Amino acid sequence: MITQALAQAVLAAALETGGDFSELYLEDTESNNLSMMGGTVENAAYSRRHGAGVRVLKGTRYAYAYTADTSEQALLATARAAAAAIAGDERYAPKAFAVNDCRKAPVIAPADVNNAQRVNWLREASRAAKEHSPEITQTIAGLADVDQRVLICNSEGVFAYDRRPRVRINVQAVASDGKQAQTGRRSPGRGCGYELFDTVDPAELGLQAARSAVTMLHAVDCPAGVFPVVIDGGFGGVIFHEACGHSLEATSVSRGNSVFCGKLGQQIAASCVTAIDDGIMPGEWGSINVDDEGTPSRRRVLIENGILKSYMVDILGGRRMGMEPTGSSRRQNYTFAPTSRMTNTFIAPGKDDAEEMIRTMGDGLFAASMGGGSVNPLTGEFNFAVDEGYWVKDGKILCPVRGATLIGKGHEVLHNIDRVGPEMWMAPGMCGSMSGSVPTNVGQPRIRVSSIIVGGKGGAL
Amino acid sequence: MTFEAYRDALLKIALEQGCEAAEVYAQEAEEFSVEVMEQQIDSYSVSRSMGLSVRVCLEGKNGYAYTELFEDPQGLVARAMDNARASETEDVHPMQGVSDYPAVTLPDNPLESLTDAQRIDLAMELEKRTLPMDPRCTRVADNQVAFVKGKTHIANTLGLRASRDHSVALCYVCPVLQEGEQMQDGLAFRTGAQVFDLEGCAKEAIADAARKFGASTIPSGKYPVVLEKHAASSLLAGFFSLFSGESAQKGLSLLAGKEGQVIAAPCLSIVDDPLLEANPRSFDDEGVPSVRTEVVKDGVLKTLLHNLKTAHKAGCASTSNGGRGSAASPVGVAPSNFMIVPGEKSYEELLETMGEGLIIRDVSGLHAGLDPISGDFSLLAGGWLRKDGKLQPVEQITVAGNFFTLLKEVEEVGADLWLGIPQGSVVASPSLRVQGLMVSGS
Repeated sequence: MITQALAQAVLAAALETGGDFSELYLEDTESNNLSMMGGTVENAAYSRRHGAGVRVLKGTRYAYAYTADTSEQALLATARAAAAAIAGDERYAPKAFAVNDCRKAPVIAPADVNNAQRVNWLREASRAAKEHSPEITQTIAGLADVDQRVLICNSEGVFAYDRRPRVRINVQAVASDGKQAQTGRRSPGRGCGYELFDTVDPAELGLQAARSAVTMLHAVDCPAGVFPVVIDGGFGGVIFHEACGHSLEATSVSRGNSVFCGKLGQQIAASCVTAIDDGIMPGEWGSINVDDEGTPSRRRVLIENGILKSYMVDILGGRRMGMEPTGSSRRQNYTFAPTSRMTNTFIAPGKDDAEEMIRTMGDGLFAASMGGGSVNPLTGEFNFAVDEGYWVKDGKILCPVRGATLIGKGHEVLHNIDRVGPEMWMAPGMCGSMSGSVPTNVGQPRIRVSSIIVGGKGGAL
Repeated sequence: MTFEAYRDALLKIALEQGCEAAEVYAQEAEEFSVEVMEQQIDSYSVSRSMGLSVRVCLEGKNGYAYTELFEDPQGLVARAMDNARASETEDVHPMQGVSDYPAVTLPDNPLESLTDAQRIDLAMELEKRTLPMDPRCTRVADNQVAFVKGKTHIANTLGLRASRDHSVALCYVCPVLQEGEQMQDGLAFRTGAQVFDLEGCAKEAIADAARKFGASTIPSGKYPVVLEKHAASSLLAGFFSLFSGESAQKGLSLLAGKEGQVIAAPCLSIVDDPLLEANPRSFDDEGVPSVRTEVVKDGVLKTLLHNLKTAHKAGCASTSNGGRGSAASPVGVAPSNFMIVPGEKSYEELLETMGEGLIIRDVSGLHAGLDPISGDFSLLAGGWLRKDGKLQPVEQITVAGNFFTLLKEVEEVGADLWLGIPQGSVVASPSLRVQGLMVSGS
């Protein structure tokens, strides 16, 4: 993307005012978005994001500047604009680079796929959803591919290239009886090229989304109150992501803004809970070869049998906490300074029987499919939505229920997990935080929470 | 290539390649922000950026291509044309020709004339004022001053050449208060001409955190409710798409075809006002001159909001609500200043009339806990239980309901309309007193 000599000059310019670390991030990202409504292509858009960001650290303070102009002159000016906020007497020189080239071409690069092929996948998904039932009144389908190429270099000698292809399909089916409407969704994605469709069947997605929508159309309002809840695997892992994951990021821990500060080595979850953040799972949605500070990604055990083992740490957070970076630093694009984030984060498989945990739960909720959520790491308060839920009475599934939300405090709910099933699977999402929106996987086996607040507008069933 | 040269090349090439029309939409911005903690610059960020999108119309179909690298105009037009060929919609999407625009005056941006050093001093001062205000305040979790100055350009082959400015001045502080093991955070910000009101900002942020202590959950059940302005604004924003002509035409809004019908309580009126003095713009993202639109009048739905495409299909005029989520996004329908018209009563009077009931301060989880198609919502909420005129802090509850029902059950609209941060799209509401919402707690 640029020569090593220019990179050295930019890093040196950034250190001119006394910074002790400088970093240059160059990005060239192409993406295509295709959207279909009711089986008809509505919009097709191409976009190319191209620019650079320079960060200068001095101790635990930082300055960041970015530009869309990547000429030599502009890069040097950007470095000096960041350096202008730093003042110190010591002078550091950038070290010689050690090149780490992680770029690998995907099997089927987005650039090698044409719009006709893209349209076909969406068409199959839309048709299958529409044909499932006369109650399906609308279908929405979208296909997004991204091919992100980055170069990250810093004054400690890092000179790392990465290429991060990603493809995701999104299918929504709306079921309506004229007065009420409900939506079903499926949206798998992977960190790969269009070989995604070797394993993903668009028609099957359409069918699943439609089934979910029709089921929910005939569902009753979820009862409100405190109940046991069984949360299925896959996107169910969003409970760990919100209830705990964000609060283990150095972004909040290093500032004392997390309920898990100073808890390393302590029991923070039930002993059946082991949780992992793994950035190197091949082809997964949240995987990266190197993080956005050029540190190789890795697998981290966050919680082992309920004991807190590790946080997710970036360079700046590491300086504040006196810890080594864990390859966890990420950013949406060059307009953001990086910070600690999750990759593929999941609760590891356990030993409990997936059927027994429903059979023995008494009255409660089985959350078969989850929507998104959010958390305030300072207080640990989280919330997330149940897209597809079923009411369980005396250990038997009674009927579908809609409009359920689960809320709680992360440090409390982790202790209330009393069953962890044997089979783990993951699902993709976009996670928003200080450094923008980044692709992350959430995952878990089917689990049971012995007691949690269920929000809904229904009465007892 | 310079922007002007690149823009002209794109329009020329598009016509040469056989497009009927083409439009260039560009956004440029200059941003500055500084975060101060413990009286030192904690982070500092400056940028200049520009991105440009070309939209072509080929055989009646639109196609888009966006770039931040002003090179190879032929290549970019070819991408857009390829995307137009993929489009299948039969909907006609006209472009705006040369137009006269209403003159608007942007509010003063007092940060514009300050040096970076003065802006940094402002952030230093904000922290200095905040910390001593409450003995429980140990530190700030965030404390920033930010300045944004930008320009939006629209040019097309019908001769339209328009540009508009925007600028934002913002300071905000998030103090952390600690009481024993418990921590609570607060937030307050000031924008525009109020950006020097550091004392007021600090005071409000501290009060916001302080009033959350001692909270507990409450028994599940149905409660009479006052939705404070922040919560009411969030809820209205979450359901904005119901009022979009685009959603209606796609079968995604239950308000489709309800024009002329009663959809809300008679005390409720909603306007979309791009000419609002506090946050005005002279044209929308398609170059359509700004007009004020009455969306709901005394409970009756007057119109949905339209861009040129949805207006053409509906057989009406654009309500100047053409919007692009970003320069890279296709044209959709977006609010300008979409607001519930304030009533007469103060917030305190709303509480008095409610008597015993629940005050909702804020709601979270809006991206997942509400369904804009069904109107159902179930959201984490915080606030107070009002009993015998006293307020008991409440946390760990959800409020659930249906937006269509809620609109009809609004009993009173407060006078305290709140705009939030002035930006391209604002959705705002005063506090609302409603009959009741289902609460889930203990």
